[in-house]
Amino acid sequence: MKRTKTKQVALCALLIALALGLSYVERFIPLQLVVPLPGVKLGLANIVTLMALYFLGPRTAFTVLVLRCFLGSLFGGGISGLAFSLTGGLLAMCSMALLRRVPFLSVYGVSVCGAAAHNLGQILAAMVLLGSAYVAAYLPLLLTVAVGTGLVTGAACAGSFRALKAAGVQGL
Amino acid sequence: MDEMGLTFRKGDLLAIGGVLLCAVLVAAGLWVRARGVDNVTAQIYRDGELVREVPLDRDTTFDIKGDYTNTVTVKDGAIAITRSDCPGSDCVHSGWVSGAGRAIVCLPNRVEIRLTGAGEVDAVIR
Repeated sequence: MKRTKTKQVALCALLIALALGLSYVERFIPLQLVVPLPGVKLGLANIVTLMALYFLGPRTAFTVLVLRCFLGSLFGGGISGLAFSLTGGLLAMCSMALLRRVPFLSVYGVSVCGAAAHNLGQILAAMVLLGSAYVAAYLPLLLTVAVGTGLVTGAACAGSFRALKAAGVQGL
Repeated sequence: MDEMGLTFRKGDLLAIGGVLLCAVLVAAGLWVRARGVDNVTAQIYRDGELVREVPLDRDTTFDIKGDYTNTVTVKDGAIAITRSDCPGSDCVHSGWVSGAGRAIVCLPNRVEIRLTGAGEVDAVIR
C-alpha cells in the first residue's frame, strides 16, 4: 500500500515537471507568427494532462493540472496568467474526463475537444477580466486552430504511450 | 491494446466537425451583427473604463499609456495597434481591424479596443 502511494507521488512530480518543461519549450515555438492572436499556443502541456487522465485517472490528472498552473504562474505568467491557465485548463480537463468515456472517440477526438474547451475557457476568463463580450470575436479562429493543436497533442499522447509500452514500463 | 482508444476512430471526425461548426456559427453570428453597420467607431477601454472614442473615418495616431504603451493608428477606415512595448506584442500581431463587433485586445496593458456601429449594435450586445 505504502509503496503504491510513493510511486503515485513520484509519478505526479514527474508529470508536473514534464508539463512545466513543455510550457517553457513552447515559448520558443512561434505559432503566433502564423496565427496572430493572444492565447494561441500549441498547448504542449496539455499532452501531460491527457496522459495523466488516460493512464492515472481524473483525480491524479486534476492534481497535476492545478499544481502545474500554480507553479507555472510562479515561473512567469503572474496572476492573470494563472486565471487564464486555470479556467482554460480546468474546462479542458473536465470535458476530456467526460469525453474519454464516449466509446466512439479516441484520444484524438478527446484531445481536439479538450483544446477547444481550453480556448473557450480562456475567452471566458478574458471576458470576465475585461468585463466585455467583444473578446468573443477571437473565438472562431481560436477554435479552428484548436483542431490542429488538439490533433498534435493527441498524437503525442498516443505515441508516448506506445513508446512506454514498448520500453516495458509497468503499471500504466 | 486499443480498448484505451489510442488509434483514430471515425467518431473523432464528428468531434472535429463539431468544433469547426461552433467556429463557423460564432463567425456567422459576428458577421450578421456587423452587417450593414456603418459609421464604425472605436471605443478604447483601459481597465474596463472608456478612455477614448475615435471614429474610423479620420486617420490619426496616438498613444495609450498604462503599464505599457500602445501606439494606435487609424488609417483608411481600419484601426490597429501598430507599436507596443508589452511582452509578446499579440495586440500588434492582431493587425488591422475594421468591422463592427470586432476587437483588439492588449491583455498586459489591460486595453481593449471595441468597434461599434452608431448606437444600434451596442443595444444588441448588451
